[in-house]
Amino acid sequence: MEFYLKGFLIACRGIPATVIVSLVAIVMGAAIGLLLALCSQVKSRILRAIAKVYVDIVRGTPMLVQALIMAYGIPQLVQSWGIDFKWTDYGGMAIPAVIVCGLNSAAYMSEVIRSGIQAIDKGQMEAARSLGMSHGMAMRLVIIPQAVRIILPAFANEFVTLIKETSVLGYVGVVEILRHGQLWNSSSYQTFPAYIGVAIAYMILTIPLSKLINGYERKMARKEAAA
Amino acid sequence: MKAFKKYLAMILGAAMIFTLAACGGGADNSAETDDSSDSEAQVLRVVTEATFAPFESTDEDTGEIIGFDPDMMAAIAEDQGLTLEWINMEFDSLIPAVNSNQGDIICAGMNKLAGDRAQMADFGDTYFESDLMLLVKSDSDLSGIDAVTSDMKLASQIGTTGGDMVQEMKEEGKIADSVVLNQWTDCYLQLQNGEVQGVIVDKPVGEAYLKSHGDIAKFAGESFGDHEEFAFAVKKGNTELLDKLNAGLANIKASGKYEELVDKWFS
Amino acid sequence: MSMIEIKGLVKAFGDLEVLKGIDQNVEEGEVLCIIGPSGSGKSTMLRCINRLEEPTGGEIYIDGNLVTEENIDKMRSKMGMVFQSFNLFPHKSVIENLTIGPVNVRKESENDAAEKAMRLLERVGLAEKAEEYPRNLSGGQQQRVAIARALTMDPDVLLFDEPTSALDPEMVGEVLDVMKDLARDGMTMVVVTHEMGFAREVADKVIFMDEGYIVEEGSPEEVLGNPKMERTKDFLSKVL
Repeated sequence: MEFYLKGFLIACRGIPATVIVSLVAIVMGAAIGLLLALCSQVKSRILRAIAKVYVDIVRGTPMLVQALIMAYGIPQLVQSWGIDFKWTDYGGMAIPAVIVCGLNSAAYMSEVIRSGIQAIDKGQMEAARSLGMSHGMAMRLVIIPQAVRIILPAFANEFVTLIKETSVLGYVGVVEILRHGQLWNSSSYQTFPAYIGVAIAYMILTIPLSKLINGYERKMARKEAAA
Repeated sequence: MKAFKKYLAMILGAAMIFTLAACGGGADNSAETDDSSDSEAQVLRVVTEATFAPFESTDEDTGEIIGFDPDMMAAIAEDQGLTLEWINMEFDSLIPAVNSNQGDIICAGMNKLAGDRAQMADFGDTYFESDLMLLVKSDSDLSGIDAVTSDMKLASQIGTTGGDMVQEMKEEGKIADSVVLNQWTDCYLQLQNGEVQGVIVDKPVGEAYLKSHGDIAKFAGESFGDHEEFAFAVKKGNTELLDKLNAGLANIKASGKYEELVDKWFS
Repeated sequence: MSMIEIKGLVKAFGDLEVLKGIDQNVEEGEVLCIIGPSGSGKSTMLRCINRLEEPTGGEIYIDGNLVTEENIDKMRSKMGMVFQSFNLFPHKSVIENLTIGPVNVRKESENDAAEKAMRLLERVGLAEKAEEYPRNLSGGQQQRVAIARALTMDPDVLLFDEPTSALDPEMVGEVLDVMKDLARDGMTMVVVTHEMGFAREVADKVIFMDEGYIVEEGSPEEVLGNPKMERTKDFLSKVL
């Protein structure tokens, strides 16, 4: 029992890193995802193509591969151009890891946001435009605020997914929840307690979040029914 | 390589003494193998972590696990009439794997003196001895491990003595951060890219890397840390198998096969 | 100069030609009612005026200015639009629905916009609902708010796209009353409607559309009381 407690406490040391990385990644993912979603809505074929290629690349390759390319490949490439570039100068190996998580999240969020925007009645855009708003202003003031309410649960679900996916960070040397467990396991060989501790640490984060989402969805459903 | 030849002489000397000492045991072994003729046909699973050149690595073309360990184990197996199958996994899964019967033998350049390992599995006789070295970029001014300052980062592989050491150094505030990675190749990449100032590495592993990357990196200063002894291991209590392996090791050392392999992989 | 000038307006959706060349003027202060069977193109014509549908051919002038893709945002603010399904912004309170245009498009101060919004809400009789959200209002109330919203940009013209079609019968009157009030005040209005009573009472001119053409036009007495064309008579006999 003592080993299980120890494994859990050790895994918990990784919670701040996991939460911070997930938070930064989800904010980044939402921002880029919104841009991508808007790109896929516009008339310009080039912008639409860029958005599509981006989503295809990111969703079509494992996140670990992207993390390795970002963490090791990019500095090597940039250095081969004669520019002194290393992640350590920009905050350490957590940076490429966060970027990869954010870029991944963006691909998913762009789909979520796009469907959220499409769920808004066409009349809303027309009403906004008929007041003299530009397309962008109508998006910002009328469409997106409404879409946000629709996509909020999917957004929170993505956050739960991200918390779990940030475990790839360990591969580039960021010590988050899983990595703390792995490091302890590698010296103690308490494999089962180590990974059970890791699992519980993740659940402490993900289960309350999932409960919150469910509560929100139920609340929204009641509101819909009342309206 | 001079220092290395000295090692070799030492090991061979030890091996010879060992061979003589183990003679009596050899007879018992052969008697046992006769009893359990079933187990001879059985394939023994050797688990390893194949990014530890020259001990074990994955052949780029064939995907086969190659290196000193596979060659040595093959020689031992031939000597003892065993059939082997290699399984590649994460380094820190190796001991759990044999303990849960997912493997029979660990042969992964494992230091039997590190941590509590000796209590978790039964280790065989030492087949290789090593010490730690600090690997730095070739243009580095670092003169050795003692010159490392608290603003630096050092990398090493998870589950290795170096990995434990960099974490200790971090905890003691001797370095800014410890970067413990799953593979040596990742450690070298971080060194090459300038993300870390040094890698704490097992000497023969570092030597193998320097053989092909001498323009990029070098050793800084002398060896340090605890002396390491590499050995294969089996599940606790599996003395029957361990005795066979030890006997095989003694035989190939005596026959000169062992020396041949060391020559092939470390020079 | 006419307030609205429509010249040779053509609109096609793919192969389907919905408007087949419309010419029509609306003078300042005039109330034009457009009637006709569904699918006749009357809503499309209205939506082409403020370019919610992009015309396939022809030209539209507002107050003498040609409406183009480039100046459309500016031109739209001269034209208020009232939709069949209200299209209030559900995430904004009633008063916010009324201030969102002036504050963001015309950069009016929040205070000025709110003051004007309250005046307009009083005018449509809903001042006490200012802080409510649209979902808590009846259909008739929502449409009256929508009319007030259309007025916030001080438009020269109001366009109504079947403003009472989505309402329960008992709520039609309150909306028509607001519209009559506006007409009396001299607002230029183009109204696509099925309310023949309203057209008869308020319209200066009625046009009857069918299959993408203006079939008949004139005063309400002429078109509704004494139609000359067979198709008009046929339509009126069905709806009256």
